[in-house]
Amino acid sequence: MDRTLSNFIRALRNAEVRVSTAETLDAFNTVQLVGYRDRNFLKRALSLVLPKTADEKEAFDDCFEQFFSFKKFDDDATAANEGAGAGDAEGGGEHADTGEAAESAEGAEGPEGSEGSEGRRGSGGGEGGRKRKSKTAFGPEAEEEELGAGAMADARSELGQLLMNDDRTALSMAMSAAGQEVNVQEIMVFTQKGLYTRRIMEVMGLAEMQREMIDLRQSTETPDRRLAQELKRRREWLREHVRDYVEQQFLLHADVTGRRLREELLRKVKLSNVEHRNFRLIQEVVFRMAKRLVALHSRRRKVFKRGQLNVPRTLRHNMAYDGAIFDLRWKSVKIDRPKVFAICDVSGSVANYARFMLMFLYSLEDVMPKVRSFAFSSDLAEVTELFDRNNIEDAIAKTLRDYAGGSTDYGQAFEDFKRNCLDDVDNRTTIIILGDARNNYGDPKAEILKEMYDRCKRLIWLNPESRNTWNVGDAEMRRYSAYCHQVEECNSLMHLERIVGNLLRSV
Amino acid sequence: MADIGQIAASVDSLKEHLGIHHYICSDQIATAVYLAFHLKKPVLIEGPPGVGKTELAKTTAEMFELPLIRLQCYEGLDEAKALYEWKYGKQLLYTQVLKETLEEVLQGAKGFAQSIERLHEFGDIFFSEEFLEPRPLLKALREEHGCVLLIDEVDKSDHEFEALLLEILSDYQVSIPEIGTIKATHEPPIVFLTSNNTREISDALKRRCLHLYIPFPDVELEQRIIHARVPEIPPELRKQLVAFIHELRDLDLKKSPAISETIDWARTLLLLHTDRLDPKLVRDTLNVILKFQEDIENVETELTTLTSKAVKS
Repeated sequence: MDRTLSNFIRALRNAEVRVSTAETLDAFNTVQLVGYRDRNFLKRALSLVLPKTADEKEAFDDCFEQFFSFKKFDDDATAANEGAGAGDAEGGGEHADTGEAAESAEGAEGPEGSEGSEGRRGSGGGEGGRKRKSKTAFGPEAEEEELGAGAMADARSELGQLLMNDDRTALSMAMSAAGQEVNVQEIMVFTQKGLYTRRIMEVMGLAEMQREMIDLRQSTETPDRRLAQELKRRREWLREHVRDYVEQQFLLHADVTGRRLREELLRKVKLSNVEHRNFRLIQEVVFRMAKRLVALHSRRRKVFKRGQLNVPRTLRHNMAYDGAIFDLRWKSVKIDRPKVFAICDVSGSVANYARFMLMFLYSLEDVMPKVRSFAFSSDLAEVTELFDRNNIEDAIAKTLRDYAGGSTDYGQAFEDFKRNCLDDVDNRTTIIILGDARNNYGDPKAEILKEMYDRCKRLIWLNPESRNTWNVGDAEMRRYSAYCHQVEECNSLMHLERIVGNLLRSV
Repeated sequence: MADIGQIAASVDSLKEHLGIHHYICSDQIATAVYLAFHLKKPVLIEGPPGVGKTELAKTTAEMFELPLIRLQCYEGLDEAKALYEWKYGKQLLYTQVLKETLEEVLQGAKGFAQSIERLHEFGDIFFSEEFLEPRPLLKALREEHGCVLLIDEVDKSDHEFEALLLEILSDYQVSIPEIGTIKATHEPPIVFLTSNNTREISDALKRRCLHLYIPFPDVELEQRIIHARVPEIPPELRKQLVAFIHELRDLDLKKSPAISETIDWARTLLLLHTDRLDPKLVRDTLNVILKFQEDIENVETELTTLTSKAVKS
């Protein structure tokens, strides 16, 4: 199987492009048809097969550019060149040369594809530029011991030979192979870079070369010592490259993994503990969550034809009765999506949660077309329109400014709800109450909640506090929960998601 | 008969042939047709309205000289209209007529079991090909030399219909309970699905398709398109009007003008015998490119600047 491609697909998945197994197979077929020769052609072809939305296409483009770039050894050789202070007059011309070599090789081999047969084909093109390059890349450099230019002993260790032969393709191949072996794709966090660099070097045979270097240094022969020096220099140069390689792999594979890890964590963390700097991220998470829920449940939105005769089905069904039409068939019945009233407590006691509840409420309006939102600390107010008109930040800020801060009075809020919109509640309505039920020892007015309970289809109470504090102090949860179809603890995004998912499914 | 294999031999050749049929396209689009042909996979085309999604299917059919079978999707479209239906009327009529002959058939049959057995000898004639009314999808599968099947605006259809498409798109076959599975005869059809993104197409469907997104073209490509479609228009005016359209697309409009509108506009201007844009002319013909009064009012205030920008470019 084509390892390059599967690695690329892995990187794509990391970049949030969803690629299924079937699509992977398609991609293999495509590559077989198209080949690695023409980079742009390959890109265009794969971009038809793998990403399936406009967003994914964008991610694909970035990913492709990053993944199928074959710069490493050639580019860095010039860097090493400059670093060594051996910048000669020819430098400019050589730059261009290597650039070209990189170009021609680029289409042909991915970083990991070098082992494949395609890789070899590409190396032919790159050869010319590389060979000439080698003279300047390792120009003699002043070191501890001035040995002068002259004959050098031959390196014995495998890695030493590779380095001395200056065969970059082979080096690159060895490096990617080593990368595969230590599973550099698994790199997760920034700090692991050093670790992976070392591991790759080790797999490439560093230890053996080190031993050789020690031996060489102790040797009395000048060519041996010269070789030792040269090897040391080249080792540093290699280390540099491996580090770059790991860096690139990190960007490709881990950057997002880390982010996803953080998101995953955020979903589980208590909303009140979310740090301020993560607000933006959490907003994205909430939004994506809402979007996914929309995608999952929008099918319910469809308007069925109700009460219409389904002629073909009727006829087909009545064939058995000699064509006498007496068993009528109708077109399907309409399935409606829920009508939701969401009431959110924004008082001091839940201040930490209110922001997220509102955020979710806001996103919810996208998910379900018939959401009416209310906010209260003592007096209840409808914020549906506010949400409609403003973007999410403004809407939340305004709601908090206008309605938050007071002390909680559930009794008053229920009173207001009864007066204003209890009439709109019918047997298809779901009421969601977000709050901690801490009523400051006021009159809970549970009888109004009962009235709501009787009228609506479902009444769900989401409490941000953990279950065992529900009835401690001024909390009225025990009394209220008698009139709820469902009471849930809800203080992380995961909870929210699960509850809303259930809600949408069950209606 | 066009040599399909030769035309589809390479992307460049496809591009050229599409060009001959006045469809000027980017490499990406040509690659899509290339892959669709060679991988035998349907192409789902998305993009803003009027960028030539449907046109691509039509032109491909023309280019390959294959029949185009088109299925326009709408809400409530079901298998009876898309796939096949039994000819109920014919079935009913035949049962009435055959009632008379039934006695002859059953003559001499002893008892119930024997009668049934005799009837069985006739097989399921009422549910045979004779009584099958093929609809576009089935027609496409049974087309002898292959065809181009265009499933237009698939996003308008219901989810059920999407599910129905799955079998056809992945295996080029349909299952009819009474008859069995019907497979594409020789050449599977080249399938294009278009979507205007009024809703998300399900993952299952997307997975089975190549996904082509056609965006608005860049200035250079659009000029070539106009040149191909309205060759009579003077080059200077062509340049100006394309520049103007691109200015419009940068504005925040309810509906940005599409290529089809650019073409219409080019034809309009040609009819009016103009050779350069001026604000008055633009104002008078704005309703060709903008279809919402709101947009027209928005643009009118900036008309002079926009026009002069377009003329200068």
